[in-house]
Amino acid sequence: MKPFRSNHLQTIMIIAVVSGLLFLALSGYLTPVFNLTLNPLISFQSWLSVRYLSMRDFLTAPRDVTQLREENALLESQVTQLQTQLIEMEERLAEAQVCFSLLDFGRTNPQYEYIAATVIGREISPFLQYIIIDKGSEDGVRHGMPVVTQQGLVGRVDAVIANASRIKLITDSTSVVNVFLQSAGTEAQLLGSLTGDLSLDMIPLEETIEPGDVVLTSGLGGNYPPNIFIGQVLSVQQRENALFQTATVQPIVDFTSINAVLVIGNFEAVDISPLIPEE
Amino acid sequence: MIPHLVCALSLVVFYILQTTIFSQTPLLNGTADLILLFLAAWSLQEQARNSWLWTVIAGLLISIVSAMPFFAPLLGYLGVIGISKLLQRRIWRAPILAMFIVTLLGTFFQHAVYVIALQINGAPVAWGGSLDQVILPSVLLNLVFALPIYAIVNDLVGRIYPLEVET
Repeated sequence: MKPFRSNHLQTIMIIAVVSGLLFLALSGYLTPVFNLTLNPLISFQSWLSVRYLSMRDFLTAPRDVTQLREENALLESQVTQLQTQLIEMEERLAEAQVCFSLLDFGRTNPQYEYIAATVIGREISPFLQYIIIDKGSEDGVRHGMPVVTQQGLVGRVDAVIANASRIKLITDSTSVVNVFLQSAGTEAQLLGSLTGDLSLDMIPLEETIEPGDVVLTSGLGGNYPPNIFIGQVLSVQQRENALFQTATVQPIVDFTSINAVLVIGNFEAVDISPLIPEE
Repeated sequence: MIPHLVCALSLVVFYILQTTIFSQTPLLNGTADLILLFLAAWSLQEQARNSWLWTVIAGLLISIVSAMPFFAPLLGYLGVIGISKLLQRRIWRAPILAMFIVTLLGTFFQHAVYVIALQINGAPVAWGGSLDQVILPSVLLNLVFALPIYAIVNDLVGRIYPLEVET
């Protein structure tokens, strides 16, 4: 009977102690004791955890770097592809803009039939100013046809083969174009040069020419249709004892960067050389 | 047969490069002449035996394509090869030096032929302006491109004419 009682007493005492401890813990009286005992444990746990995570990162990091490198290479290739596409789009946009401006020129000058062509090369000799276009006799291009851009006069067809043509620019040293100065109402001759500069000659001395005067084709001589814009007078030179004035001309067309041109297909150049008396 | 094919193909490639790129990138008004450089470099190779033939062919083709007076390009290129052959026998130990000298003299000769041909045809081309604006810039550009073209042609000839091993 005694051992039974003592066992019960022990159980009751344990329950009472535990209940007391729980009561004290829940009521906050044991917080200092917990702090004192748990803080070192938590510190140790956090120290261990940090070391473990570091170790895990160290062990797993190379795999991640490889993945990242692969992803980076993939992204770089995508960026390159997109950049290539962007450049292609920009090129197409530039071509479209040139086409639109050529179309606009065609609309404003509906009396002519145009053959659009792309510039594919230039004359080998640096002494001559010629370009090569990708349209030839199969496309209706013929010798002597005038060539323009949306801005103004470029030159005329000098030689033709089936799929290409050679264009003599008005800046060539052997080029002569009969022009009309709109403000002064007088005619003159536009000459090319070795350096590609344009100059006016045969301007009567009594005419007053001002910088900025517009230069148009006159149509005389039958090589070019009239009223095609060429450029503006840049400066005027009058020399003593000279029979005519001269002037330099700023062309409206940038001959160094022509990409596309229009050949005027329904204009037939007139060869008046048999009518010129031989000297 | 292979050297002829390679030569023809090279001429076509250099012609396309010339008209599309090099003629569109002038220095003042001068441009490099890749065909002249190719012919000069080809003729300076000891193994190449058909340089005169290809000079005539190239000269005739350029005469047809170019707006220059007919036969002027042919005459110019023949002069360049003449200078090249003359120098090849004298400066055979330093082919690169020979290439530079051929480029220098050949460009002057070719452009002199062009100016004379244009003047005969009535073009208002003056010697002074030509020298300043075209000839000297062209000489400079040709000298710049002489070395890479020589290296390319030298490599090309080395591949199509393997060294003969004496047994």
